[in-house]
Amino acid sequence: MSFKNYMKDHCYTFLFILVAVTASEIFLLTCKMHWVIRIYFALAIILACIAGFLMDYFKRRKFYNKVLNDLDKLDQKYLIHEMIARPDFFDGVILKEILDEVNKSMVEQVNLYKLQQEEYKEYIELWIHEIKIPIATSKMIIENHKNEVTQSIDEEMDKIENFIEQALYYARSNHVEKDYIIKKCHLQEIVSEVLKKNKNSLIKEKIKIELHDLDIDVYTDFKWCQFILNQIIQNSIKYSQKENKEIEIYANTYKDNVVLYLKDNGIGIKSSEITRVFEKGFTGSNGRNANQKSTGIGLYLCKKLCEKLGMNIKIQSKNENGCIVMIVFPKDSRIELL
Amino acid sequence: MIKIGIVEDDKKLREELSIFLSKNGYEAMILTEFDNMISSILNSNCKLILLDINLPYFDGEYILKEIRKVSDIPIIMMTSRDNEIDELLSMNYGADDYVTKPFNIQILLAKIAAILKRTLKIDTNQNIIDCQDFILNISKSKVQKGNEEIELTKNELKILHFLVQKRGEIVAREDLMKYLWDSESFIDDNTLTVNITRLRNKLEEIHLSNMIETKRGQGYILK
Repeated sequence: MSFKNYMKDHCYTFLFILVAVTASEIFLLTCKMHWVIRIYFALAIILACIAGFLMDYFKRRKFYNKVLNDLDKLDQKYLIHEMIARPDFFDGVILKEILDEVNKSMVEQVNLYKLQQEEYKEYIELWIHEIKIPIATSKMIIENHKNEVTQSIDEEMDKIENFIEQALYYARSNHVEKDYIIKKCHLQEIVSEVLKKNKNSLIKEKIKIELHDLDIDVYTDFKWCQFILNQIIQNSIKYSQKENKEIEIYANTYKDNVVLYLKDNGIGIKSSEITRVFEKGFTGSNGRNANQKSTGIGLYLCKKLCEKLGMNIKIQSKNENGCIVMIVFPKDSRIELL
Repeated sequence: MIKIGIVEDDKKLREELSIFLSKNGYEAMILTEFDNMISSILNSNCKLILLDINLPYFDGEYILKEIRKVSDIPIIMMTSRDNEIDELLSMNYGADDYVTKPFNIQILLAKIAAILKRTLKIDTNQNIIDCQDFILNISKSKVQKGNEEIELTKNELKILHFLVQKRGEIVAREDLMKYLWDSESFIDDNTLTVNITRLRNKLEEIHLSNMIETKRGQGYILK
């Protein structure tokens, strides 16, 4: 709050004071008053006004400077109204009341959306649990009536199951509260579960599996990690070459982390696109041409879930020479003391 | 036959589950008195219970807790809720195991077998199987015929075991591979061929030739 702006704001008041002083001087002149009295009179009025304005100016300056300063330091700017002490001048009080009112209304509005989002997430989770029952039943029927037709339906059921799982984790990933448990998991066990889950398509596509160096413990949520690996294996299946398909899975322990490598010899990712594969909704040129269209959600979710679990995911590809996905599990030597 | 109780509110699912268990050598019993499930389970004389979590009247977790107060009957929880927290809760309430819907059927069977083995000391996967022409010793991974015996590798043993279980039926290569994958041998097509050839050669060593016959385009059959 600069003095210049304050003066500008009060220019009419100054003008009126000047007019009043001039008018009274003219009056005193016509009354033939002594010049000392005239100057004393004029000075008294002007000095009183200046004192009044200065007091008002410093009071306001102190108040607004504090507000601006606090606002600057605040992380969540909307909380500023909580920081303002009740001002002792009228328009300041109005400002504070407006801010309080606005904030209250905003909080109500935000809570409404929060509630709606929460309800929607709950509905999605409920729906997912409901839909799993008919899927389980269908799978049992298929198992009890094995033939070529049901086998083919079984593959489609697997796809449905995968899409549903994606939706479930999408709903979970947008949520702030933790619904996962970090505990000691054996890498071999996680990888085996994922391979078993995809056995139908892996066997059908004649993909050779090479596993080594997986006898390592990591700290993560088993289910979430399984979901992440599942997305990557499915990509490897989706973008495989025509012949000699192979997926190699191995891990390596470093000083501060454990890295799980999933290496395939599929069609790979174009170098111009590799930086964007974790973006939501991004489908590369390969994704648009594959038999099964890419949704651009899988890797985006992987990245998001990895971040929540404190893990990292990286991808490397040499044009048309397959790709390597690296999942980095943090390792803290202190954890082993527990 | 070992009686297994099924507590599941979805009619079709419990019926299909019961058919599946019957096909795999168990006696399945469907329990439907949901308003009186606890005494119904306790009086059923089942050796193992498959218990759903979302049930009318009382939920599965409550039933499990109440049963654990009086009985140690093995219980496998079935649920469509797929997260670690629910799993942990169930295990804390005293469930013996936990499967999520839709379940991998082979894994469900394996879990049932493992629990029965532990609780009833009945080994559903017998360690020594008498196959008339030869004896399959699973714990030692050996095939014996008279005084002669051969040692099998892990994969060869699994293949022979599966063929023995399905003796007289044609076993599709794909089914054989799926079985191997479920028991964590992630082998490919070529490796399976190699393993079958080796197995045949080994069987021939103890004069068991032409036991495994190839049905072109269909699979293998153990005569």
